[in-house]
Amino acid sequence: MSATTPDAAFHSSATRPGPIGLITEGILDIWSRRRLIRYLVRADLKKRGTDTLFGNVWWVIDPLLLMIVYVVMVTVIVQKTDPDYPLFIFCAILPWKWFTASVTDSIGSVSGQERLIKQLHFPKVVFPVASTVSEIAGFLFGLIPLFTLMLLFYRDRFSPWILLIPAVAFVQFFFTLAISFLFSAVNVFYRDVANVSRHFLRLWFYLSPGLYSLKQVDKIAAQNPIVGQLMALNPFATFFESYRNVIYNGTGPLWGHLAGWLLASLAIGALTLLFFKRTEPSFAKVL
Amino acid sequence: MAAEKAPEIDGVAEVASEVAAGDPPAGDPAGSTAEPVIVAHDLGVKYSLRFTRKTTLHRTFTNLLKRQDGPSDFWALQHFDLELRKGQSLGVIGPNGAGKSTLLQVLAGILTPSQGTVEVRGAISSLLTLGAGFDQELTGRENILLAGAFMGLDHREMEARMEDIIAFTDIGEFIDAPIKTYSSGMRARLGFSIATSVDPDVLLLDEVLSTGDQLFRAKSKARVLELVTSAKAIVLVTHDLQWVTEFCNRAILLEHGATVSAGEPTAVVQLHQERMEEERQRKVAEIRRYGGVVSR
Repeated sequence: MSATTPDAAFHSSATRPGPIGLITEGILDIWSRRRLIRYLVRADLKKRGTDTLFGNVWWVIDPLLLMIVYVVMVTVIVQKTDPDYPLFIFCAILPWKWFTASVTDSIGSVSGQERLIKQLHFPKVVFPVASTVSEIAGFLFGLIPLFTLMLLFYRDRFSPWILLIPAVAFVQFFFTLAISFLFSAVNVFYRDVANVSRHFLRLWFYLSPGLYSLKQVDKIAAQNPIVGQLMALNPFATFFESYRNVIYNGTGPLWGHLAGWLLASLAIGALTLLFFKRTEPSFAKVL
Repeated sequence: MAAEKAPEIDGVAEVASEVAAGDPPAGDPAGSTAEPVIVAHDLGVKYSLRFTRKTTLHRTFTNLLKRQDGPSDFWALQHFDLELRKGQSLGVIGPNGAGKSTLLQVLAGILTPSQGTVEVRGAISSLLTLGAGFDQELTGRENILLAGAFMGLDHREMEARMEDIIAFTDIGEFIDAPIKTYSSGMRARLGFSIATSVDPDVLLLDEVLSTGDQLFRAKSKARVLELVTSAKAIVLVTHDLQWVTEFCNRAILLEHGATVSAGEPTAVVQLHQERMEEERQRKVAEIRRYGGVVSR
């Protein structure tokens, strides 16, 4: 029901599709507006390239600086760290930065388009999708310092498994998208989602095996089984460990867990998309 | 004809209001036998006052604790009936906050009715405010494609119209510069050109005629008239009463979200002017009562 609708556009307070209908409608929205999403992504990338003096260079430097901060912090506090610790945590910093950037971008993606939403009828779901997609670029740029780091200092850690980074990223993308649907819609109604999420995300990172390995968690879990169970519910335990396996350990990712999280992400994504579609009609009123 | 459906509870908003049929619009001056293009039946749009753009978790919790009982809803439009046929152009007038823009938004599909039904047959183009979807970093050309994608138009169609749009906008080589370098007039012109480049069946206009310089205003007026003659039906919201008497063959006066009068444009405009004058007199009296001085 866009600007040009060949058939009658019928809007009624009484006709509302059911959950399955709404989810299907949401998926069709995304598919039919894929070109719009492409334009939005391109605009977003252009913006970020021109806004700062260094432009895209920041996408390369940023994860490196973050890595240095964590290396200094952890070596001061813990003293004994995993071998090749900079690379060890870089495997987690890179995907985590991608995730937080996507979520943070998505939060304001709908509420920031107030003017347009009040003046045109179009599927609002394009905004969180575009935000999530355009952050892929940040992740790709982050691979440059990763490979540089490995070429310069950790050449012996290269293995063919590293080619499986996209497989892990694929699952992470769907999980991120699912979260983006939810947060972008909730932020229309509660403007403090951004503040809450900042702390929530930081806590989430510290509770995920990013700065430490899953083995260390297993040690604690041996005495305290709840810790192990909670860790199994954290997708980033699977993601970080899988990235680390293919980059740092030179082994395969956690295939079973990844497959499980792919299915779970699709299920969560269907639910959050349903939530988005349910709340979508009131966006124009609330904004 | 509007499907006879009992008004049901809105999916998001909650209060079900009683079924009360509003007065059907009076006179049907032009083409009462032509096919209806817009059919609205007992249309209502409700705003929830609990959620506004300033809502925070803190506010919600304090409201829960305090159990505030104030009004939680506001009807911007209620019991609105309309049947607009092919060839009719409807002028919607009324004071600020009467629900004029809400009416256009619900006809455009931007707002979902909280009550009743609305059916619009054919392609709609809503020239609500111009250039809302522009991206500052993109060039004029890229923004034309972006706007087309927002409107759901095929990109090939948009590319075919590109040259016409650029020609009408008349901004020279600025078309390849980012929008952020444009003056507000240039931006409005580009917005107007894009919005009017589509040839819709139903045209919704909201005070779009006051953009740009004098030359462009004359040019845009001509373009709107062209659209008026080619579109099947038009709904025009304006404060320019001359437009209503000149170009509309039907008019509606809205006040507080309800139809006060409908029918012949001259009669409706006259009633509106009388009521505005009454309102002004009342205000003047009130100012005097508070000891104020009314400046002329």
